[in-house]
Amino acid sequence: MVNLEDLKKEAKRILEEGKIKYIIGYERSPNGMMSMPAFIKNPEDAERLTWDPSCVYNLTRFLVDEKRRKAKEKKPDTRPVAIVVKGCDSRAVVVLLQEKFINREDVYILGVSCEGAGVVDEKKLTEKLKGKKADKIEFSEKDHFLITSDGEKIKIPAQEILAERCLECRANFPVIYDEVLGEKVERRPEDPFKSIERIESLSKEERWAFWKEQLDKCIRCYACRSVCPMCYCDECVVDTISFAVAADTTAEEKAQKIKWIERSPDSSENFVYHLVRAIHLAGRCIDCGECERACPLDIPVRLLNKKLEKEAKELFDYEVGFDPEKPSLASSFKDDDPEDFIR
Amino acid sequence: MKRTGVFVCHCGINIAGTVDVKKVAKELSRHPGVAHAEEYVYMCSDPGQNLITEAIKEKKLDNVVVACCSPTLHETTFRNTSKEAGLNEFQCEIANIREQCSWVHKDMEKATRKAIKITKSAVERVRRNESLEPISIPVTRRALVIGGGIAGIQSALDLANSGYEVVLVERSPSIGGHMIQLSETFPTLDCSQCILTPKMVEVSKHPKIKLLTYSEVQEISGYVGNFKVKILKKPTYVDPDKCTLCDECTKVCPVVVSNEFDIGLTGRRAIYIPFPQAIPATYTLDIKSCPGLLPIACGKCADVCEPEAIDYDMKPDIIEEDIGAIIVATGYDLYDKGLMAEYGYGKYLDVLDGLQFERLCSASGPTQGKIIRPSDHKEPKEVVFIQCVGSRDPELHCAYCSKICCMYTAKHAMLYKHHVPDGQAYIFYIDIRSGGKGYEEFVQRAVEEDGVLYLRGKVSKIFEDKGKIKVWGVDTLTGKDIEIDADMVVLATAMRPSQGAGELAKKLKIAMDKDGFLSEAHPKLRPVESVTPGMFLAGAAQAPKDIPEAVAQASGAAAKAVAILSQERLFHAPTVAQVNLNLCTGCGMCVEVCPYVSLSLKDGKVEVNEVLCEGCGTCSATCLRAAIQVKNLTPLQVHEMIDASLGGR
Amino acid sequence: MADEFEPKIVAFLCKWCSSAGSDLAGVSRMQYPPNVIPITVMCSGSMSPLYILSAFKKGADGVLVSGCHPGDCHYIKGNFYARRRIALVKKLLEFIGLEPQRFQMSWVSAAEGTKYTQIIKDFVEELKPIGPQTKLRRSS
Repeated sequence: MVNLEDLKKEAKRILEEGKIKYIIGYERSPNGMMSMPAFIKNPEDAERLTWDPSCVYNLTRFLVDEKRRKAKEKKPDTRPVAIVVKGCDSRAVVVLLQEKFINREDVYILGVSCEGAGVVDEKKLTEKLKGKKADKIEFSEKDHFLITSDGEKIKIPAQEILAERCLECRANFPVIYDEVLGEKVERRPEDPFKSIERIESLSKEERWAFWKEQLDKCIRCYACRSVCPMCYCDECVVDTISFAVAADTTAEEKAQKIKWIERSPDSSENFVYHLVRAIHLAGRCIDCGECERACPLDIPVRLLNKKLEKEAKELFDYEVGFDPEKPSLASSFKDDDPEDFIR
Repeated sequence: MKRTGVFVCHCGINIAGTVDVKKVAKELSRHPGVAHAEEYVYMCSDPGQNLITEAIKEKKLDNVVVACCSPTLHETTFRNTSKEAGLNEFQCEIANIREQCSWVHKDMEKATRKAIKITKSAVERVRRNESLEPISIPVTRRALVIGGGIAGIQSALDLANSGYEVVLVERSPSIGGHMIQLSETFPTLDCSQCILTPKMVEVSKHPKIKLLTYSEVQEISGYVGNFKVKILKKPTYVDPDKCTLCDECTKVCPVVVSNEFDIGLTGRRAIYIPFPQAIPATYTLDIKSCPGLLPIACGKCADVCEPEAIDYDMKPDIIEEDIGAIIVATGYDLYDKGLMAEYGYGKYLDVLDGLQFERLCSASGPTQGKIIRPSDHKEPKEVVFIQCVGSRDPELHCAYCSKICCMYTAKHAMLYKHHVPDGQAYIFYIDIRSGGKGYEEFVQRAVEEDGVLYLRGKVSKIFEDKGKIKVWGVDTLTGKDIEIDADMVVLATAMRPSQGAGELAKKLKIAMDKDGFLSEAHPKLRPVESVTPGMFLAGAAQAPKDIPEAVAQASGAAAKAVAILSQERLFHAPTVAQVNLNLCTGCGMCVEVCPYVSLSLKDGKVEVNEVLCEGCGTCSATCLRAAIQVKNLTPLQVHEMIDASLGGR
Repeated sequence: MADEFEPKIVAFLCKWCSSAGSDLAGVSRMQYPPNVIPITVMCSGSMSPLYILSAFKKGADGVLVSGCHPGDCHYIKGNFYARRRIALVKKLLEFIGLEPQRFQMSWVSAAEGTKYTQIIKDFVEELKPIGPQTKLRRSS
């Protein structure tokens, strides 16, 4: 079990040593049940850090922001940033390293174990507590969460309130870290692609109806994109792209924008947006589930990515985010990649 | 908006018979940006071309589309026509409405509609074409040949005789390769050394050839026409100019090691000459087996060397060469003996590989051509030859056919019979592959004149029993078990790329196939070119092959190299990748997929070497940021072409 | 018969193999339905998934991507990357309920005019019964 005091001690130590710029971690939210991101600069603030099953966020998104900020600074502080990562999040770090977006020496990774469980789904928990508020959410013995609500302690089986993606998680222990807290508890999901198989088992028209209903809801707020650590392009391909928008771009060049996707709420535009996004995340998405969590319309966006994760595994034996030295899915091939679909 | 001209060709009735060309021209004249559209019976004729040049001038056209036959036929014609009229050649595109339309359809209305879409699509493309000039690069008119076997020798001689300077690099102390080890060659039974040594001498005497033996390519940079090569010349500790070949040194050298020239059948000293006709004719001190260079350790060879040719202080030398074209002829090795334990190789003295048998047959070999058993020096009376040892065995060894073994095994059996007329030769084979001039006749001669017994089947077990080597096998034609008490077994082991060839290929950035042979640029149409411009392949480095094939490929490679070296400047298609640095995040995925190493990362952004880029566009499809695209077929152009193809405009 | 549905197909052909193969079909005067508009690209490896989605959005009833056979790519390995990329796009399109017949890939060499002809014939025949593609087509 992760000893929270160990985490705080380690955080304090690295800040005091001065080799770390700041720590990206979690802290309890003053309101609401879930923990929120914390940015700790001073050793004394390390006390605020927390690690519990309400720490749902994938903080690696902030590494992307950090890189952007640093690039703009004239005399950037080049010390590494420390980040608290769960198993899934650590794989996002691996992908960022694989894509050379960050350098290993720029990040100090504090891994935390999910204790064979995972993080909670806020909606499921709210439902479970029937309107009551959870003051504290803790890992309990195997497969249970301990919820403190109005002074009362309730033990809930993890399976009932785990986030969907945690139910299908195949790496609930950090795969890369400088320091790791907690033990590696093996919990292999029986079926890591259960949610996908459910949809695959539908008929073609049922699948279409399902996605039509879901994607027609999309208001193109791009929250899924904003929250995704892999959506770090400076200019998103769906934003009516320009090959050359820069300071010296002429008006004529600007007229040469490609409208792959238009802003209208037409169903086809929504589809193409989500399909392009899924394809761009193929071999890169580590299923942190942030896109789905952030979606205000409850569109199961994650499933599109998960589908391609499944295909990458089944067709190409490619698993995302385990080895930063490995070529990525789209920039590699095997001589015997399946081609039974080709005429 | 740019002014586009559209010229629709009737091609007699080839197009006009199925496509309403007048309608195509009329429709196109209404298309936005089209300032001129006309049709004519033969656009490629002089009057047709004149129509184009006149329209370009009179109507002040910025670009043109010619709707006609396939661009493989007249693209060059019409681009030159446009150029004559003052346009950049890239301001002309072809709409293929013949091969891809009129010739494959009968319904005039539908074919016309399709022709209109194809032409509109070309208009959308051409109006976004950039005017480009061919990329011009200078040429260093010297060649490098890597490998001094028969292929490398042939390439070097062909190049030198064409008047170009050649640097020939060989890693062992002498050129000659495996061919110099052979006894006779099939199908003529010419003496191998007798036909090779004149070429070796020619190499050593040729004023245009700089021979670097005992040397290895260490580093290579640059690109076609402009390579920079660093070559490591290892010290031989013997000055070839002073050495008189008196052989006194070997007499006093206290070290005996296995002689690689005889594949271990004999020994040699630490200081040695590989074989009497070695080129360069000099001794080499093998530092790995020498007890030490200090006079205190041994120093005997230097003591007896009257001309004082031995210099223990000789240092490795790095030689830098500017090179325009490279031929790789690194040859082959036999399949690793350690992996062939099932045939008793290495366990039983009288189980030999093909090259060892060559040495036994060779008049200059360890036995002066007498075939005797290494174990007891007796003449073998029953000899079993086994083909496909390691070849055509995808489960355990190599999947491919080593190609030469059928022929040399027939030769071996025949030579054996010539040496031991009362002996019996057996050959175990899977198939006999004797394609080649005079080859089938040669195999028949072995059977008919020399009574060689061919047994179709595989050998199951080989073991020693009372001084004999028992060979168990099955004749799959009769289904009978076969047991032979052999005196000697000769294995036709598979050919492998020579050791270190893979490492060299990586330095040269030449692709290898799954077996480690060097990959040619196209299996049918570019068999002597590597995928890297300016680098060519010769001999067994590319695939198993026999001497005439190796020689032919070597001459082919030389001719290809001359095609480069004979130019003062090279021109390269300018439709290459370009990068938008604002969008590039430096992930390097494009670098990984590029087949030509034309991309590299510099300061966290990708950089295109335009000379190496062939414009395939795989980088652009791989890039997640739309930060790289190929000039004149950009995503924007394809986007507009899709639109036009679907009748969007 | 006049009102029979005629599917609109965009065929992305690599320049060196498939486009040359379609040229050969022409030279050999083979006959196939005129429903396909060919777009020649340099290599199947240059096929961005955006092209495919874009074609469907602009109203294509079918999209074909055709390249050199494995091992024959003019650019050595572009078709291997294409094979991977196209496999994923195909799986994804089927996952959201697009008819699998609508998106196809083929290997057509420069010598396979007959194969190209057959592929186009089959493609058109397979699309006719399923009617126009409306799922990804922009309605306006």
